Amino acid sequence: MSARVGRVAALALLAAVHLAALGAGFLAPYAPTAQNRTLPYAPPAPLRFVDAEGVFHLRPFVYAVTEQGSVTGAYAEDRRRAYPVRFLVPGAPYRFAGLPGHVHLFGVDEPARIFLLGADGFGRDQLSRLLHGAQISLFAGLMATVLSLGVGWLLGTVSGFYGRGVDAVIMRSAELFLALPWLYLLFAVRAMLPLSIPPARAFLLLVLVIGLVDWARPARLVRGVVLTARERSYVLAARGFGASDLYLIRRHISPQTAGLLLTQAALLVPQYILAEVTLSFLGLGVSEPVPSWGNMLADLQHYHVLASYWWMWAPGLALVPVILAYYALSEALSTR
Amino acid sequence: MHGLLLLAGVSLLSFVLVELAPGDYFAEMRLDPRISEATVHALRARYGLDRPLPERYGRWLASLAKGELGYSFAYGQPVGPLLWPRLRNTLLLTVTATALAWLLAVPLGTWWATRRRGPADAALTGLTAMLLALPDLVLVLGLLLLAVRTGWFPTGGMVSLGHEQMPWGARVKDVAFHLVLPVAALVLGIVPALVRYVRASVADALGAPFVRAARAHGIPERRVLFRHALPAAANPLVSLFGLSLAGLLSMSLLVEVVMSWPGLGPLFLEAILARDFHLVLGPVLASTFLLLGGNLLADLLLAATDPRIRTEER
Amino acid sequence: MEAEPPLVRVSGLTKRYPGRGGRRAPAVEALAGIDLTLTRGSDLALVGQSGSGKSTLARCLARLEEPTSGQIWFDGTDLLSLRGRRLLPFRERIQLILQDSATALDPRLRAAEIVSEPLEVLGRGDRRERRRRALELMETVGLPAAWAERRPLELSGGQRQRLAIARALAVKPQLLILDEAFAGLDASIQAQIASLLRDLQGRHGLTYLYVSHDLVLMGLLADEVAIMFEGRIVEQGAVARIFTDPRHPHTRALLAAVPSRPTPAAPPPP
Ligand SMILES: Nc1ncnc2c1ncn2[C@@H]1O[C@H](COP(=O)(O)OP(=O)(O)O)[C@@H](O)[C@H]1O
Ligand SMILES: [Mg+2]
Repeated sequence: MSARVGRVAALALLAAVHLAALGAGFLAPYAPTAQNRTLPYAPPAPLRFVDAEGVFHLRPFVYAVTEQGSVTGAYAEDRRRAYPVRFLVPGAPYRFAGLPGHVHLFGVDEPARIFLLGADGFGRDQLSRLLHGAQISLFAGLMATVLSLGVGWLLGTVSGFYGRGVDAVIMRSAELFLALPWLYLLFAVRAMLPLSIPPARAFLLLVLVIGLVDWARPARLVRGVVLTARERSYVLAARGFGASDLYLIRRHISPQTAGLLLTQAALLVPQYILAEVTLSFLGLGVSEPVPSWGNMLADLQHYHVLASYWWMWAPGLALVPVILAYYALSEALSTR
Repeated sequence: MHGLLLLAGVSLLSFVLVELAPGDYFAEMRLDPRISEATVHALRARYGLDRPLPERYGRWLASLAKGELGYSFAYGQPVGPLLWPRLRNTLLLTVTATALAWLLAVPLGTWWATRRRGPADAALTGLTAMLLALPDLVLVLGLLLLAVRTGWFPTGGMVSLGHEQMPWGARVKDVAFHLVLPVAALVLGIVPALVRYVRASVADALGAPFVRAARAHGIPERRVLFRHALPAAANPLVSLFGLSLAGLLSMSLLVEVVMSWPGLGPLFLEAILARDFHLVLGPVLASTFLLLGGNLLADLLLAATDPRIRTEER
Repeated sequence: MEAEPPLVRVSGLTKRYPGRGGRRAPAVEALAGIDLTLTRGSDLALVGQSGSGKSTLARCLARLEEPTSGQIWFDGTDLLSLRGRRLLPFRERIQLILQDSATALDPRLRAAEIVSEPLEVLGRGDRRERRRRALELMETVGLPAAWAERRPLELSGGQRQRLAIARALAVKPQLLILDEAFAGLDASIQAQIASLLRDLQGRHGLTYLYVSHDLVLMGLLADEVAIMFEGRIVEQGAVARIFTDPRHPHTRALLAAVPSRPTPAAPPPP
C-alpha cells in the first residue's frame, strides 16, 4: 500500500466515523438512554432473510427475543413472527445540528427491538449508545486538541518571539507541567473540579481540563520553530520598514508553525480521545446515563460482563481503527 | 538541585490547585441531616480548613518535613504512612516492567535493525503498529479477560488470602504470581514504541560512516554490530529511558486501578473521589518524585556512557 | 547650502554582544567606537574583512539593532532617542538591503507580494493600488511583470537582489544601505546591478552606503571608501587616494589580497 493510498484511506475513515458521530441521532435506531428492563444484555440480533418456513425475504427481518428463565443473558427467539427492518421510521426525538428530528434511518415495529450490537445491562441498544458516545469521545478529543494547540501556540509564540523574562517564566512553568506524569497531572486537575456534574457541563469541563493541562509540549515545540523563524533575515527586513510585532507574527512567523501544528494535532487527538475515555471509565468524566466510550467500557470492570458479553467491548474495539487512522495521518503529515 | 526546585514548584502548584477546589471532605457531611452545621464547622476548624491558604500551605509544608505529608480525613491519619507502602508497590511494578521491557526491546530491536525489509520486518512493523494503536485500557481489559477465562493468573490484588501465614519463599512466589498480569500489561504497553526506537537508533548507528568504514575493513558483521554500532546507539537509548518513564507511570496508574494493584493509582483515585485533598497530593508528589528520580538516573547513565557530557557544566 | 547638516553623522558608536556559549564567555566587541559622516547624494563604501563589524554597523544605522553606546544623527535628528511610532517616519527614510538575498525574502510569498509588503505594513493604498505600485517598482529594477507570481526560490540570485532593491525603494528612502549586495553574483550581473543603482541614484537623489569585503569592486562603485578593522574605521578617503596611497597597514593588506585584478587608480600596464 502506497503512502498516498494510506493517507486517503485514513482520511476517509476518519471522515466517515466523525460524520456517523454527528448524525448519531438519525443513524441510531433508539435513544441512547432508552431502557428495556426485560432485555438486559440481549445479544446482537442477526439480520435474517430466510424465515422459519424456509421462505426467502428480500427485506431483512429480525425476531423478537425473550429472556429464558433466571439466567441473565440467555435469550430465545420467538420465531412465530418476523419483524421486517423498516427504513426512515419515526421514533425517539433527537436534535441534529440544533434542529429537532424524530426520523431514524432504520427500525422495527414494536414490541420487537433491533439490537444489531446487542444491549447493555439496562437493555439499552449498544449501537445507539456507541454512535452517541462517539459524539462525546471523538469531539472531546478534537476540541481539547484545538484548545491545547491554541494555548500552546500562543504561549510558545510569545515565549520564542519575545524571549528574555517572558520566555523564562513560560518555559519554567512548562517544565513544571512536564515534571508530572501526564495522567497524574490530568487527574489532579480533574480533582480540583466538582465531581458530580450534569453531562453537558462534564463534557465541556473535560475538554477544558484535557486541553489546558497539556499546553507545555506544543508550547515548547512552537517556541523552537519561532526561535529560528524570528532570526530569518526577512523578519529583520520587515522590521526595517516598520512592521509591528503582531504583523511579523501573523505574516512571517505563524505560517511556519502551521506544519508542526498539523502534525501535532494528528498525534494529540487520539491521545485526548483516550484521556476522555480513561477519565469517564474511572467515573471522573461524563457520567451515566449519557454514553461516552469511556463510561460504556466501565461495565467491563464486572468480571461476568467482561467474560460473557463480547458486544460490551464495542467502544474499545471501535477505538482501534480510529487511533490507527490518526497515527497514519500523523505519519503522512510528518513525512511530507 | 534543579530537580528539587521542580519538586517544590510542583508541590506548590498542586497544593494551590487542590485547595482551590470547591467543596471538601466535610462538605459531603453537610448532606447528612444527622450532622449539624455546627459540628461540620467545628470539624473544619479543628483541621485548620478555615485558615487562609498561605497558612494551610505552611502547615502542610511543616508536616511534609516530618514525613507526614498532611492529614487524610478519610483514614483519620497522616498521609505519609498510607503512602509509603503504595509507593513501594508502584515501584516494584514499574521497575519490574521497565527491566523486562528493556530486556525484550534491546535484543529484538537490534535484531530487527539488521533485518531491513523481508517478512520479519513487515511482521514486526505490523505487530508494533497494532499494539501502538491498541488503547492501554483495552489492553488491560483484554489481559484481564484472559486471566478470567483461563484462570491461569490471579485477576487482581497483590497477594492471595492467607499470604501472611505463608513461609517466606512462598510469599515471594505469591507476589510474583500476582505481578504477572499487571507487568504484562505494562510491558505490552511500552515495548512497541521502545522496540521501534531501538531499531531506529541501531539502524542509524549501522549507517554511520565509522561503522561502514569498520565493515569495509573486513571486520566481521557480528563484531561491527556489538563493538561499534551498539555502543554508538547507547546514547539515544539512555535518553529515551528518561523520556519513557512519564508514559510508564501514567500507564501504571491505569493498570493499578483496573487490576487493583495496591500502588499509588488506586489510592489516588480513591482520594479524588472522597475529596480527601492531602491524600490527593501524596501520589501526585510521589509520581513526580519517581519521574525526576528516573530522569536523574538517566542523566547519570548518560554521563557514565558518554565522557563528553561529564565535562560540560550546567 | 553650507548650513545644511550631513545626512548621517555617527559618533562614538559601540556595540557589544554577550559572548556565545556560556554565561562567562567574554563579550564580543563588534563596534569599538565608530565615527562616520555621510553627505547627501554621496556614495560611501564600507570595506573590511569578514567579522570586522560591517553588518553590525549597517543594522545599527537602520535601527534594527540597539547600539551599546554612541550617537547617530540622521538629518539633524538624534535617531537613538526615538522609539516605536516616532521612529516610523525614519524607518521609511533609511532602508537596509540585507546580506544574503536568499534568506532576506520570505520563501512563501510571491514577488509582487514581497515588493508590496512595505506598503501593506505602512497601510498605503488598497490592495489593487499596492499591486500596481509593486509591478511598477519591479519594472524600475528591471524585473518584468511576468515574474510577479514567482516565489524567491524560483528566481536567480541577481533577480532576488533586484527584488530586494525594489522592496527597499517602495518606501522612497533617502539612504540606502546595501550589505554585500554583490556577493555571490556573476561579474556581468554585478555590473548590471551597479548600473541600475547608479541610474536610481540619478533619478531619486539617493545616498548610498555600500558594505562589502571586496575593496576592488567598491573602488569601481563608490566615491569614497572607509576601511573597517576590528570594529573601528581605520582609514577613510576618496577612492583614488586609498588605492594610490593606502596609509593603514590593514588597507594595504586588503589591496595586496587582490593583486591580479585591475584597479581604477592603478591600471595594469598593457
Ligand atoms: N547577533 C550577534 N550575537 C553575537 N555576536 C555577533 C552577532 N552578530 C555579529 N556578532 C559578532 O560581531 C562581529 C562582527 O560581525 P559582523 O558585523 O557580522 O561582521 P561583518 O559583517 O563585517 O562580517 C563578529 O565577531 C560576529 O561574530
Ligand atoms: Mg556581514
